Amino acid sequence: MRKQGKALWEHRAQIIMSLPVFLIFLLFSYVPMAGLVLAFKDFDFKLGIWKSPWDGLANFQFLLASKRTFIQMTANTIMYYLIFTALGMVLEVMIAIAMDQLAFKRMGKVMQSVLIIPIFISYTAVQFIVYAFLSSNTGIINNLFGLNIRWYMEAKYWPVILTIVKLWNGTGYGAVLYMSVLAGIDQQMYEAAQIDGANKWQQIRHVTLPSLVPMMTVMLLLSVGSIMHSDTGLFYQVTRNSGTLYDTTQVIDSYILNAIFHNSNFGFTAAATFFQSVVGTILILLSNAAVRKIHPENALF
Amino acid sequence: MKQQRGIVLHHKKRHGAGQVILAVFLLIITILCALPIELIFASAFADETLLTTQGFMFFPTQLSMDGFNAVLRYGKQLFTSYGVTLLITVTGTVLGLIIMAMYANCLTMSDFPLRRFLIVWAMIPMLFSGGQLSTYIIYTSMYHLRDNLLVLILPLCVSTMNLIILRTYIQTSIPKELMDSARIDGAGEYRTFFQIVLPLMKPSLAAVGFMMATAYWNDWQNALLFITSNNKKPLQLLLINIQKSIETLLSTRNIPSSALAAMQGSIPQYSATMATVVMVIGPIMIVYPFFQKYFIKGMTIGSVKG
Repeated sequence: MRKQGKALWEHRAQIIMSLPVFLIFLLFSYVPMAGLVLAFKDFDFKLGIWKSPWDGLANFQFLLASKRTFIQMTANTIMYYLIFTALGMVLEVMIAIAMDQLAFKRMGKVMQSVLIIPIFISYTAVQFIVYAFLSSNTGIINNLFGLNIRWYMEAKYWPVILTIVKLWNGTGYGAVLYMSVLAGIDQQMYEAAQIDGANKWQQIRHVTLPSLVPMMTVMLLLSVGSIMHSDTGLFYQVTRNSGTLYDTTQVIDSYILNAIFHNSNFGFTAAATFFQSVVGTILILLSNAAVRKIHPENALF
Repeated sequence: MKQQRGIVLHHKKRHGAGQVILAVFLLIITILCALPIELIFASAFADETLLTTQGFMFFPTQLSMDGFNAVLRYGKQLFTSYGVTLLITVTGTVLGLIIMAMYANCLTMSDFPLRRFLIVWAMIPMLFSGGQLSTYIIYTSMYHLRDNLLVLILPLCVSTMNLIILRTYIQTSIPKELMDSARIDGAGEYRTFFQIVLPLMKPSLAAVGFMMATAYWNDWQNALLFITSNNKKPLQLLLINIQKSIETLLSTRNIPSSALAAMQGSIPQYSATMATVVMVIGPIMIVYPFFQKYFIKGMTIGSVKG
């Protein structure tokens, strides 16, 4: 005990230096975690989180009873995750391989810089770009193709629109990672393949793609943990939070944001948040265990 | 030298057709990616009547500075918001970098008894979160941070991913012997860190700093949830308000209502909105090229090595 105390005293400088981050995690991550008990309480703003009366599983019954809202937003959340991940990965790998094969390196550098830019534009700004394309009177799409569609009123188009926006936003950034893997491939592998008589396509199939597989697996597994979370800005800002679109655009995160603004349904929302957090954590733990099996050095912990 | 050039030429000749197709393919993707951004700039510089009668276009036939003029002349709120965003971005990034570097440095010291505990302490928030709702209620009803700029700075200034990047950098790129010899020379822990470790961390600080700065610059959700008064509104919240009405750009204080009505009529709505968007995303695009190489490196470290 004494020895431990002495060791700590000797490291007092380190303790002081790690204190600020420790406290910020405590206040802004750990205390809100305790707030998840809300899911089991009948929340009253006047009483606050800790003093509100316990409510058992009533909130969860409420959640399950409102089948349509809850199931729909969960289904939307998962559907968009699947679309974004699948299409995103295919495009990212395609662009990365194309960039890697390109002999005009300087041109490649410039194109790569341009492709990354969209990730730095916030969805509040992207929203205005999308509006310039889709506004019913002044929008480019309607004018260019002579259409007269009121895009912000028609839910059925939005899965496609949001997918395009998301791919535009994130693909360039995602491709950079795969490019860095490709840059690390030993050139001798290609030379050896060439000597064996492999043409360009065969080289891509048998050298390039296999070397990307570990990174693809890791990225996929790591993303599994965020299935229940969406890019809130995409679903809240880009859709202009239009109620008529909710059927196809409401995800768990945007639902919660709306509930906070309307001060409504706190019990329901708390149960949904709890569900989201717990499922998210289970998925991260599972996927990390899987990464650990396949590629230990890429595991998060 | 000569021989090398010969090889390059030979290379080009052999892959001629395929390479051209590849280049064209990538060029098309790049253009598709850049066009929406070009559209913002084109609309900001387009003539307002052109936009209202013929709609948005990539290459407006009539250009005008009216949008920018209106924003610069009447947009008092824009300058206030610029100030707020700059303040939170600079304070948050500098504060975050210093305290995270200190923490990351402690995580690399194998003789530090609390090391394991602090690693776990930093990992858990990545696995588990309280979610938006309880975060909102705790920030407002427990910490009373509503309409306080601290709520825009503190929660974002620390992240597990950035800590991992910084720690990995210290472990792989700063020789332990350097720190040891500084200690032998009698430098205390603080001096060793601030005069030896921190300066050597520059590339990783640039990478993480740029990512943090864009996160601060682009953060709209905290502002939307917590900020209510005009003089604390950051740029992203201003953009959200402008979506509802361009008039929020005006600062209504000290202007007689008759004059205000006249001004509102004279604001070219579409081009002024796009001009504001240009002024919000502009700074990031100007700074980005200088940080690109660091940031790509940092991103790769972060996701490849945990």
